[in-house]
Amino acid sequence: MSGFTQRVEDALADPVLKIAVERTAGTAEAKRAAAVGAFPDFEAARTRAAVIKDHVVANLGHYLQQFEANAQAAGATVHWARTADEACGIVIGICKRADARSVARSKSMLGEEIGLPHALAEAGIERIETDLAEHIIQLAGERPSHIVWPAMHKTREQVSALFRARHREPHLEETIAAMAESARRHLRSAMLDADVGISGANFLIADTGSVCTVTNEGNAELSIMPPRVHIVTAGIEKVVPSLPHAIHMLRMLARSATGAALTQYTTFYTGPKRAGDRDGPEEMHIVLVDNGRTQMREEGLAEMLRCIRCGACMNHCVVFRQIGGHAYGSTYPGPMGAVLTPALDGLSANRDLVHACTMNGKCQEVCPVKIPLPTLLRGWREKSWREGLEPQTVRRALGLWAWGVRHPRLYRLGSALAVRVMRQRARAGWISRLPLAGAWTRHRDLPAPEGKTFLEQYAQGRRR
Amino acid sequence: MSARDAILGRLEGSRPAGAIAREAAILANDPERPLLAHEALIPQFLAQLGLASVAATFEPVRDWSGIPAAAAAYLDATALPRSIYLPPDPRLRACDWSGIALRETCAPDKAAAVGRAIAGVAETGSLIFETGPATPMLPNFLALHHVVVVEARTIVAHLEDIPARLREARAHYWVTGVSGTTDIEGQYVRGAHGPRYLHVLLVDEAP
Repeated sequence: MSGFTQRVEDALADPVLKIAVERTAGTAEAKRAAAVGAFPDFEAARTRAAVIKDHVVANLGHYLQQFEANAQAAGATVHWARTADEACGIVIGICKRADARSVARSKSMLGEEIGLPHALAEAGIERIETDLAEHIIQLAGERPSHIVWPAMHKTREQVSALFRARHREPHLEETIAAMAESARRHLRSAMLDADVGISGANFLIADTGSVCTVTNEGNAELSIMPPRVHIVTAGIEKVVPSLPHAIHMLRMLARSATGAALTQYTTFYTGPKRAGDRDGPEEMHIVLVDNGRTQMREEGLAEMLRCIRCGACMNHCVVFRQIGGHAYGSTYPGPMGAVLTPALDGLSANRDLVHACTMNGKCQEVCPVKIPLPTLLRGWREKSWREGLEPQTVRRALGLWAWGVRHPRLYRLGSALAVRVMRQRARAGWISRLPLAGAWTRHRDLPAPEGKTFLEQYAQGRRR
Repeated sequence: MSARDAILGRLEGSRPAGAIAREAAILANDPERPLLAHEALIPQFLAQLGLASVAATFEPVRDWSGIPAAAAAYLDATALPRSIYLPPDPRLRACDWSGIALRETCAPDKAAAVGRAIAGVAETGSLIFETGPATPMLPNFLALHHVVVVEARTIVAHLEDIPARLREARAHYWVTGVSGTTDIEGQYVRGAHGPRYLHVLLVDEAP
């Protein structure tokens, strides 16, 4: 049994996980639907968003150099990193030069991708996660299970127990509001005393050199303002030409992620503190991280670089809703994660992920930048076949099927027989056990065929 | 080879900057954005403030001289002591604040702070703040109650209209409602890290 299969077995056997995932993903799905319904022409807006991102990715070198020049002119230092290790090395280097004992970190998926939490721990630098969900999983010693709601897999009861054990003055009432208040008390002083603030970037504005962060909690602002040094880690695909382009993407991002018209705190930083400024960091460093992105662009995955990390694809994914994010075993879960992970960490170790999809197309339907996720997953499946990564059972079964479709009479006979056997085994329209389909029926029933095979029905229709 | 050269080397393109800029300019127009009635921006701005996701309250004020009384009324209504942080903004400082204890610094989680937004946005109910000598930004995030003064004449229609109101400041903050989180079970609660309450004083001076 592969690691992925084992994790899925564990996830399906967890009675609490599905409740937790349903509570958040279900709410997100309903809120997004309302926001999209209220938008004048969301479909046209999605197309525009996709075209903006394609324009950026096609001219990425141009925009990165423009961004670099403008950010430097504003007093920021721009660093470049080819790999995750290079990026972490740069961040740790800046922290050490600043004599940092503690850093306040505002949630960034890129930081997770490059393994920054681990690198900081190795360097002996205390890390204060300031996003509420990241704080929860830091206390629990876990990894994010969703890119917008990293602690989605936790129920309120589990969070409550965690806070009671770890907070200095934990909540007295068993309400979510009281728990959030407990975290606020706990994190405040740590944030204000941090030596370095580290954030990601939702957008890099090329024509001004500004970095844009969005949060609903205000934790990015509180992590960045008090410390002497601000470090931004950003994927190179985050650049947009100008503020109006960012605004269009912001409209799409907020609606797709939380169903709001705009995130509560949308902030643009252009360089470090200036003469006369009352607050803000004295140093601003921006680390531009490639980590496989130029390769994705060269190798047919340019469309994946449109992704703005809204999480809508996973909220709407029937597989994600069953197994949650941890089962994927990667930084990025769900449909976008299944496409990204093989590019970041190699296909052979992640072959299972590209098969963990029903191809129902829901992710592509809700994606604000129209990433053809099922098509990209199919591309990975083909590559896995070509490279001989598919196991013997799959190769044999597909070989048999390929032989079958080349012999139409036999194929028709076989499928007609299969349909009749399945109908015979069904109880009230569902099959609970079926030879050769044990992997399916172990966790759920198989719907029984309604009537005859398609070709039989087609032939009947023609006769009429 | 430096990391910079290696990355940019893989991204080389031969398109002239002018052609890229022309394409970008076409994409910058957003005909799909929410529609607004330009003759009624203020009611639309106020309607956005009242949305559950924004969760702000507001009070119209006839002119700048009415600000201290409106702030005092808010403190009284929320059973807070008559004490408030006031930024070194000359326009705010020119008001008569007698009867309210003014604080020069904002300690973490002290009850209330006054802030001055340079603009408001009808599309989203956003309040726009800019860094500068008269506008410390940290108090806007530390206070539990944020009382924001914004002039009606500065309300713009769309987010794209904000840059016209910006000076060349280091940072601008678009605040759209109170601090909130849905990180525990997707349930929305207020006051995650920033203010839990946002009260807007809209200065609507008759022309």
